[in-house]
Amino acid sequence: MTKYIAKRILMALLTLFIITFVLFVLIRIMPGNPFPVERMSAEMIAQKRLELGLDKPILEQFADYLKLLASGSFGNGTSLYNGAPIKPILIKCLENSFKIGVLSILFGTVVGMLIGIVAAMHKGKFLDGLCTVISILGVCIPSYVFMIFLQYFFSYKIPFFPYFFDSSRFLFSSIMPALSLSLLAISIIARFTRNEMVEVMNSDYVKLAEAKGLYGWELIRKHILRNALIPIVTVIAPLVVDLLTGAMVIEKIYGINGVGKLMVDAIAGQGVDYNYVLALGIVFSAMYICAMLVLDILYGIIDPRISLTAKDG
Amino acid sequence: MKKFLILTLLTLALFITGCGEDSADNNTLKVMLGSNVVSLDSAQATDLVSFELIADCIDGLTQLDAKGNAIPAIAESYDISEDGKTYTFHLRDANWANGDEVTAEDFVFAWRRHCLESTKYAYIMGAGVANIKNADAVTKKEADPSTLGVSAPNAKTLVVELTAPVSYFPALMTFPAFYPINEKFYNTLAAGTYGTSPETFLSNGAFMLTEYLPGSANIQLKKNDSYWKAENIMLQQLHYQVVSSSDNALTAFKNKTLDLVGIGGNQIASVKGDAELSKNLKIIPTGLLQYLSFNQDPKNHHAGALANVNLRLAISNAIDRESLVNNFVDNGSRATYTAVPLNFAPNAETGKYFAENQQQFSEFVSFDVEKANRFFDAAKAELGQDTFDLEFIYANDGGDTVIKVVQAIKEQIEKNLPGVTLNLQPMPKAEYLDRMTTNSYDIAITNWAPDYDDPMTFLTLWTTEGSEIAEHWSNADYDKIIADCTTGALAANYNARWNAMYDAEKILLENAVIAPLYTNASAYLIDDKAKGVEFHSVAIERVFKNVK
Amino acid sequence: MEKIYTPQKEDFEFIEGRNINVDTNFASQGYWRGVFVHFTKNKFAMTGVFLVAVIMIFAIFAPMFSSYAYDEIISVTDTSGKEIVAKALEPQFAGGAENLFADKTFIFGTDDVGRDLWTRTWQGARVSLIIAFVAIFIDMLIGTSYGLISGFFGGAVDNILQRFIEIAGSIPTLVIISILAIFMDKGIGLVIAALLITEWIGMSKIARAECLKLKEREYVLASRTLGAGSFHIIFTQILPNTIGPIITQVMFSIPVAIFTEAFLSFVGVGIVLPQCSIGSLIEAGFGNITILPYQILPPITVLAILMLGFNLIGDGFREALAPKLENM
Repeated sequence: MTKYIAKRILMALLTLFIITFVLFVLIRIMPGNPFPVERMSAEMIAQKRLELGLDKPILEQFADYLKLLASGSFGNGTSLYNGAPIKPILIKCLENSFKIGVLSILFGTVVGMLIGIVAAMHKGKFLDGLCTVISILGVCIPSYVFMIFLQYFFSYKIPFFPYFFDSSRFLFSSIMPALSLSLLAISIIARFTRNEMVEVMNSDYVKLAEAKGLYGWELIRKHILRNALIPIVTVIAPLVVDLLTGAMVIEKIYGINGVGKLMVDAIAGQGVDYNYVLALGIVFSAMYICAMLVLDILYGIIDPRISLTAKDG
Repeated sequence: MKKFLILTLLTLALFITGCGEDSADNNTLKVMLGSNVVSLDSAQATDLVSFELIADCIDGLTQLDAKGNAIPAIAESYDISEDGKTYTFHLRDANWANGDEVTAEDFVFAWRRHCLESTKYAYIMGAGVANIKNADAVTKKEADPSTLGVSAPNAKTLVVELTAPVSYFPALMTFPAFYPINEKFYNTLAAGTYGTSPETFLSNGAFMLTEYLPGSANIQLKKNDSYWKAENIMLQQLHYQVVSSSDNALTAFKNKTLDLVGIGGNQIASVKGDAELSKNLKIIPTGLLQYLSFNQDPKNHHAGALANVNLRLAISNAIDRESLVNNFVDNGSRATYTAVPLNFAPNAETGKYFAENQQQFSEFVSFDVEKANRFFDAAKAELGQDTFDLEFIYANDGGDTVIKVVQAIKEQIEKNLPGVTLNLQPMPKAEYLDRMTTNSYDIAITNWAPDYDDPMTFLTLWTTEGSEIAEHWSNADYDKIIADCTTGALAANYNARWNAMYDAEKILLENAVIAPLYTNASAYLIDDKAKGVEFHSVAIERVFKNVK
Repeated sequence: MEKIYTPQKEDFEFIEGRNINVDTNFASQGYWRGVFVHFTKNKFAMTGVFLVAVIMIFAIFAPMFSSYAYDEIISVTDTSGKEIVAKALEPQFAGGAENLFADKTFIFGTDDVGRDLWTRTWQGARVSLIIAFVAIFIDMLIGTSYGLISGFFGGAVDNILQRFIEIAGSIPTLVIISILAIFMDKGIGLVIAALLITEWIGMSKIARAECLKLKEREYVLASRTLGAGSFHIIFTQILPNTIGPIITQVMFSIPVAIFTEAFLSFVGVGIVLPQCSIGSLIEAGFGNITILPYQILPPITVLAILMLGFNLIGDGFREALAPKLENM
């Protein structure tokens, strides 16, 4: 296992390198300049590109960028926050998005699995139907619409939560965005948990366990949940990455300085900020790759029948 | 599972300890910003929001009073030479927030730096606007920055040399590009970090930063006690909150979370139906002109149909501007039939705005379907084609209003000029700007806000050099008038210059280089406690120094 | 005495090329026929079919029979010759309202620009359904095959395919679509292309996970012993057993596709106005949600009904395809 993990980590680094290169090239193909060109003449644009080293061959530019990365810097912004170093701003935004993301994952997983379990145990009955409706509503109502409702009722009608994000009361003002972000996670997890559990509950080994006299929570935990977990973990992993990488619209509504907003500003702002898009792309990919790595390792732990190291299928 | 539950409970417990009451301070004003601050560095700032914040924190040589006249700020007084080409500013005793004295050198440093680093506003120092000696050469890096026509013979005297007289020069000094930067402080900072945090930004003005991060939605300022007029500043705290939706802004105002918010057409209608709220509604006319830019390059990818003047005139006359502002913009904006918008550039003698007479060019700009079709028939005959497929681009960050307006224009033109099809093309701002500069569009909706209180801030946009960036139109007569008015013979003759500018505007509109649409207005809800907020139509939109 | 016949070697012959799937002893009705019977007997599934059918019928016919076009700005000229646009009107019926448009019916009201929301909602449902169906169907094909192959072969194949997913999944959607927009016109086609490039990844993850779980099962081993090839096992033995989770994933992909499209419009690379979709209508209604809530209600309701319908159909399918669930 250790050897496998070491190999995977090495592989992950290689993947990250390829991703960096692919992103680096793709971003340069994107329409738009890396700086705002409003009322800039052609000569001025050419001059600015020269200053930024964009006239060099692309491989040379990439080598320069790798050197920057190796020195522990993501370089400076080009249009978004003109010329300021990226790292401190990135860290601040990641911190904000992360904290809210973790909260919503926690909430989404717990509530989602509970709903799923309750529904599976009452399959075909009223509670099951109710849970289905909840999980369907959760996917149909965009999280930002839900956010507005929360804001309207719990900040305006009943002024309990702050109306906008307030970094000095971080946890308190994170509740509403985390709740609205977790809505989708709750729906998806509840749905998958229910369906997987129903399937497992039908299997012979569960029937055997029941025949042996196991019942209730013990049965669910030891026999059903464990077997139903694989597909559930599979949906949770990408959700985690999604939630951690921020939600642009919610960040905008609630006034949170987060990475979701940062990414959209970097791509759809006055200029395509090459360095911000790259930095965010690299960070997001690293997170994604980590999640996938953990996922593969988890498969093995949850279900010992699965061996990823096997040579042939 | 149990562990999960315990964890959740713990987090909940943390929340509850984390909640406390907001300290409501009567001396705090909470203001909405419609978009992010681009930069607090005056050489990088390109938008009204950034200008407003810079002006909160830094005083230039002059400032605008409530009526929009230039009054002394850091400059206690100034002398103008006989020929109008040399200004000598005498600075008052004022300090930076770190205790340093504000000196003439700080201005020299900032101005030179601006020439070297600014992109969008590099031109403001040069010929056509401020006419500062050697500014264009320094900007193009053809001359040493030390040759720029600004010098500091001593710490309290600033001498500015111009190539031609500039009638609006004192008012121009309120523009953030002309504000000082403390050189000593600046040199202690790491490259590129100026103005990116409260620690890297130094004020000499009424307020100073306490909380700021580039792109952040929440910005906090407090009163600067070392401001030279600190005893007149009543406001202790000034908080800004970026709010992207008018709907959200309205609720935030009702909730008393914000004291001053901007709202859109639908919200205005709802506020008007509310007796209490409607008292707080205030419509502020601005000088921002929304217009259609026609790409007239014959090499344009659509074979340059718009190089035909009759087609352009047809389109311009087929737009019902009154319907646009009444039905779609609906925030007090006014239909505009001139290239220089309403509400700004008053004549020094009569006090009337330059664009007071909207009927002046009605021959070329009006809403008259019959006339539009006469132009259209002429265009069809000249171009030998009956149908025109035109690409109409707009940037998606312009908010709901622009999106409504482009759809209305499409409907109006397609209805009034059968045969014309406008293909709406939304795009991110970066792509939009790129399309305009690289000449790959037919029609674009765009806007311009005045940088200084003179019609030239608009008219210079369409000289041969200026329109190279967008319209690709060139007219020798027009260029000559503009050159005469800015650096030539007419620069010193106020009335002759004023009339010549009308001549230039006429050339512009008879050629339908652009189709003006409307002059924007901003609708605000202002809390009763926020008395004394000043609104301007030029460069700095809102001033909070004199809030009582 | 009669001699008992002893079978000789010559009496037996190999059956060449026989389909091991065909079990003549238990052949009765066709598999799909069974599925169909199970499905139509299921009340919930039929309710789902009904709901989706109703929405589809409206999406197809309502814009055709509406008195307004979906992109028509409705206006009148008042006595002073001013054009008044029927914008932001609450739902009204002819004769029931006291405004300039008293003779007109707007079942869902009108939008900010003065267009009939009834027509636009169904037009939007039409566009969204097309986008969602085309994109998700192709995504399902690509994603499932990719995931099954990756999970089944494991080892080096899995490793390479998964690394490719990591690379493909790491490029932000906005970057991809901006680059696509250079080569394609903006509009429905571009949105579908973008969804094709980004959405199959989730599907393949689910398929791979299921495959990892199933490939060690006894029936796979049995099949292999009988000499079945890898692709035969993947597509006839494993695929039918993965259908449940894949259908669940498809159900969730539909609203995700609809909202991704709305987000793209929001940034300026989605469908082009005055065309509309459920997502763009929700987006537009969202801007007036507290003062004109009737604008956002129709698209959200249509979406919720569609989702409910699809989910019921999905559940019905799962049960019909895997009849072991039915007796629960």
